[in-house]
Amino acid sequence: MSDEILRVEHLGKTFGTNVVLRDIDFSVKKGDVTCIIGASGSGKSTLLRCINLLEEPTSGNILFHDSSILDKSVNIPAYRAKVGMVFQSFNLFNNMTVLENCMISPMKVLKLDRAEAQQRAMLYLDKVGMTAYINAKPRFISGGQKQRVAIARALAIQPEVLLFDEPTSALDPQMVGEVLAVIRALAAEGHTMVIVTHEMAFARDVSNRVIFMADGVICEEGSPSQLFQNPQEESTRAFLKRFTQG
Amino acid sequence: MNSLPTQFWARVVFLLQRYGLSYLKGAGTTLLISVVATLFGCVIGFAVGIVQYVPINRNDRLIKKIPMKILKALLKIYVEVFRGTPMMVQAMFIYYGASQVFGINMNMWFAAFFIVSINTGAYMAETVRGGILSIDIGQTEGAMAVGMTHLQTMTNVLIPQALRNIMPQIGNNLIINIKDTCVLAVIGTVELFFAAKSVAGTYYTYFESMTIAMIIYLSMTIAASKLLRFWESRMDGSGTYDLATTDTLAFTSGMYPQIKDSRNAMGTKDKEEAKNE
Ligand SMILES: Nc1ncnc2c1ncn2[C@@H]1O[C@H](COP(=O)(O)OP(=O)(O)O)[C@@H](O)[C@H]1O
Ligand SMILES: [Mg+2]
Repeated sequence: MSDEILRVEHLGKTFGTNVVLRDIDFSVKKGDVTCIIGASGSGKSTLLRCINLLEEPTSGNILFHDSSILDKSVNIPAYRAKVGMVFQSFNLFNNMTVLENCMISPMKVLKLDRAEAQQRAMLYLDKVGMTAYINAKPRFISGGQKQRVAIARALAIQPEVLLFDEPTSALDPQMVGEVLAVIRALAAEGHTMVIVTHEMAFARDVSNRVIFMADGVICEEGSPSQLFQNPQEESTRAFLKRFTQG
Repeated sequence: MNSLPTQFWARVVFLLQRYGLSYLKGAGTTLLISVVATLFGCVIGFAVGIVQYVPINRNDRLIKKIPMKILKALLKIYVEVFRGTPMMVQAMFIYYGASQVFGINMNMWFAAFFIVSINTGAYMAETVRGGILSIDIGQTEGAMAVGMTHLQTMTNVLIPQALRNIMPQIGNNLIINIKDTCVLAVIGTVELFFAAKSVAGTYYTYFESMTIAMIIYLSMTIAASKLLRFWESRMDGSGTYDLATTDTLAFTSGMYPQIKDSRNAMGTKDKEEAKNE
């Protein structure tokens, strides 16, 4: 109980009449690396966005350290600072340099002074191998580099959980490796992460649990070896077959 | 007075020699009012645009919701009224209305700055709103995801980008203001047009005097647009940046074993390790 960070209970989300998530249940313990796989449109992004309250769930509950984040009294920005998010499209601040991108939240959200914020930003930029580019604006660096900066930016608020929404899907194939290498290193350091990905081999060896989603529900979940080598559900088998063939 | 030349250019020179200072003062007044009013107008525009953009959430308390809604409605009326009526009419309406109805004798300078600022503000409000709306939603989500509040997102991420995006519109407004301050002549502001008209009337040299006014207006507007272009390019900064050190992870690109070709791109150290496997 004590090392459980997040618990999603019977989560549902509808857009108008479009039911996107139904009865989602899972929890994240400290140190867990959970990979979420599933076809496009199965609701993976919506699930992550609900966890980070970028979308408001329509039913069910999300507990952070055993208290609901859907209560009206919850300070949403403060909660979000404990749950980092890395987007498919990077979403780096275009008006800031690489360094400023990583300093802004420590300064504005965590109220560190400039020197401390810079020190922290450099620490994480070093971790993702981007200290060389601190003076560059996002539009002048490559996609893989952008995503590495985005990871450093998310790490700089020192969140308890990091959410990744298809972090390599917008990248050219030769840049996928550098981003996955960074995420692997974070996993090795014991960071708690929830990763939506289509990189099956990566999911297999980075995670300790895999969730397969289809049509807005969790269809199957288990350890990587269980889910990849011995899938129980027909739809999981069909999905994996498509991926391993391609 | 009696020595007015007969040739066109000679007359122009004559007017300039005699009344050069009047034109200069008029031009100065025009420039002062338009620059200051454009700045104030931008401030008003940003303030209004930002208030219009404040989200009203379903679960906000009524005490916040109702005043916010009233404020937004008032601002909307302000924008519509000042965009939808001629500035010349507004000038007379405000200047004479204030003294007749409220007994306030407005300082002419104050009236001039006030009218042009409030007018620019009404235009800028819409420009700013559009400028913010045109920014990719990912910028807002990126800011929210690192825990920024709406206000922090606005001031650190959206407004700087909106400002850069609408610089051309601000330049446009400055140019329009340089020209349109001439309507302030109706409340007695001695700007360039008023000065040129007074000189023209003295000798009945309208064509000559307006030629001078045209040239000065044109020089001012061209200078303004050049200056703004320069400022824009300064805001963009140079496209190059210094590498602080080397990219320590660049060589791991493609190290992920699924991509077979990437082995060639590995550093020698990795190659050796690969052999040992
Ligand atoms: N803002 C929205 N409004 C309406 N429908 C949406 C919205 N966002 C997502 N959806 C729908 O929800 C479904 C799941 O989307 P998403 O969570 O992005 O799937 P995935 O990330 O697994 O590809 C899709 O059918 C999509 O059209
Ligand atoms: Mg998605």
